[in-house]
Amino acid sequence: MTELIIFAALISLGFFVGQYLEKRHYASIQMREKQLINLVTTTSKTPVGDVGEISHCTLVSGNAVISIDYFKRIVAGLRAIFGGTVRSYETLIDRSRREAILRLKESCPEAAQIINLRIETSSVFKGKKNDVGSVEVLAYGTAVYIK
Amino acid sequence: MKYRPSLPEQNDNVSHEHPLREFFVLLAGLCVIGAIIYVILGLFIDAAVDHISPETEQRWFKKTSINAAIAQMIDEDKKAESFESELFDSLKACANIDYPINLWRVESNAINAVALPGGDIIVFSGLLDKLKSENGLAFVLGHELGHFKHRDHLKGLGRGIVLTVISSALTGSDSSLTALVSPVSMLGQANYSQSRESAADIFALEILNCHYGHVGGATEFFESILNEHKDVWELAHYFSSHPEVEKRIENMSHESNTRGFVDAKTITLTK
Repeated sequence: MTELIIFAALISLGFFVGQYLEKRHYASIQMREKQLINLVTTTSKTPVGDVGEISHCTLVSGNAVISIDYFKRIVAGLRAIFGGTVRSYETLIDRSRREAILRLKESCPEAAQIINLRIETSSVFKGKKNDVGSVEVLAYGTAVYIK
Repeated sequence: MKYRPSLPEQNDNVSHEHPLREFFVLLAGLCVIGAIIYVILGLFIDAAVDHISPETEQRWFKKTSINAAIAQMIDEDKKAESFESELFDSLKACANIDYPINLWRVESNAINAVALPGGDIIVFSGLLDKLKSENGLAFVLGHELGHFKHRDHLKGLGRGIVLTVISSALTGSDSSLTALVSPVSMLGQANYSQSRESAADIFALEILNCHYGHVGGATEFFESILNEHKDVWELAHYFSSHPEVEKRIENMSHESNTRGFVDAKTITLTK
């Protein structure tokens, strides 16, 4: 019984706090994406359009590590029994990816364009018995500055 | 090529279904599958146990030391004393059990008696202290003999193994899931064992009636428990798989009435 109470407490904490934090994070992501929308970021290997005379380029990167909450971990565990789309991990990956790109953009606000954008994902923390705990997304590219 | 900055209108990379829905659907699925497997395997166990003869049982569950078994059960290092009793032999004859069953007495505050696979009945002194009449003791012994007669101790053991196997097979990759499933499955187990306890109570009534010609003193133990409400919390561990005490008393008096068992004066217990 004690086990069940602890479990119920953990899962509700994970659910309510997790949902709240996720909502807040999404609001922040959406706001910053709007603010930075005019910083051209592409996967193209050359600058897009006529940028003028390039002064220099630098490697820029943005990196985010985000963990899932207890509730999502349990849902993912249940999902692992039956198979199918692991919906509870979708927002984890989505938020990490967007956060990493935002951090990359925020690191070079003076750049004219960011080109050759690449994204890499890895799990940085494996919990007990290889449960995925948190995910790292690294976004990197080349910031192009003009004279 | 012109670059046009834009943000997607909606996020197609995440599902918009409510996360609780997925949780409950998956959990319900898991419980249904677990329950079906448990019921089927439980029936197999019941059928298989009926084919295990008492001799085979004794061979399988032969204990090197009864004391080690007890230490595991009550977390105390207590010595079991063999407990020879003419009453027990006569009750065994009434129960029509012709294979050897050892009766043990253990000094412990535990108010309990247990039937162990391999032919051992252990009575804790905490329970003996609660009894005033020989008839009350006969009821407790009859109850445990009932478990042997119905092979409940083996069925309970088998179902326990099945439960452990199912819960670790279904949730093996995730220990936190086991924490979720095990209390739920315990409810099913307790429910099953309550029906076995009731059956053993009724068996004990029959034995009392066979030995004494009446069922006086049958409910003595339960009544003494009821009179000590303050101890009820301490007893919770014992009764968790036993029907509530009042319900058991009620069940027994109902059964006595329908079978025409009579109540009569009890014999004082000499300790």
